[in-house]
Amino acid sequence: MQIAFRLGTELTVATIIGGLLGYAFDYFFGSKPWGLVVGIVFGVAAGCLGVYRVAMTLTNEEEYNDKD
Amino acid sequence: MESPLHHFEVHTIVPIHIGGLDLSINNAVVAMWVGLAVIGGMFMLPAKKGLSLIPGKLQSVLEIAIEFIRNLVYEFIGEEEGRKYVPFIASLFLFVLACNLIGLLPGSYTITSQLVVTGVFATGIFLMTLVIGFSKHGGHFLSILVPPGIPKILIPVMIPIEIISMLARPISLAVRLFANMTAGHTVLAVLFGLAMTGPLWLGWLPFGFTVIINGLEIAIAFIQAYIFTTLTCVYIGDVIKLH
Repeated sequence: MQIAFRLGTELTVATIIGGLLGYAFDYFFGSKPWGLVVGIVFGVAAGCLGVYRVAMTLTNEEEYNDKD
Repeated sequence: MESPLHHFEVHTIVPIHIGGLDLSINNAVVAMWVGLAVIGGMFMLPAKKGLSLIPGKLQSVLEIAIEFIRNLVYEFIGEEEGRKYVPFIASLFLFVLACNLIGLLPGSYTITSQLVVTGVFATGIFLMTLVIGFSKHGGHFLSILVPPGIPKILIPVMIPIEIISMLARPISLAVRLFANMTAGHTVLAVLFGLAMTGPLWLGWLPFGFTVIINGLEIAIAFIQAYIFTTLTCVYIGDVIKLH
């Protein structure tokens, strides 16, 4: 159950990191605003993927425990 | 009335300036030293007195703590691989826990409510996982960026996503501990402020809440230290097992 605490921050932080990376890309290559857009999309995807993975491990553990 | 954020301020106690660096001893540093001294003392005391086969009170508490951490490490890293990480994880857990609990004493300083401190912990752990991964798997370690069993077309999309989720780990680790400690202490300070400024027939209500929330904060101190170390174990386990 304690692991579930991380889900909230995981989603937010991944989005922020993606946005920052995209912004940095824009800054160095002058491709405003496409880097930011793509970066945020990747960030959201990364966040969802992280949450999905954690949730899957949690459900797998539960099923495993139910079998006992 | 005092600001609720007053107790997060850093005061210099012994000013030390070497070159352009400000190496002053402030209350945060002192709180850290106290944390180290408490843990060190707690473990040195039974060791000095001589460990007994039938443990005394303090020795049993410490044995339970260490066994708990060892099981945690074995669960997430694996029994053979995890053995050498037990000392590191145990000191991390005990230090974070001691700092969290010391912060709850009135008039002391919560070192884990500083983003700098948790950030340094998290960055150190992140760099450590990179070093472990590269020394264990060499160049093959980069395959952690490609999840197993995905179609080849998706690989260029997955690599940036995986890089972002790798980078998000240390930041979420640092922010979680920092935010939990800061939020809890701010709530306590606000309620105390309400209790002190209100008249007595009203002030007892927020004061009662501070007592309850103090109990909650003790629980949060344990939970956050536990989560911090569990996630460290998960991250180390991830780079060792590579999926």
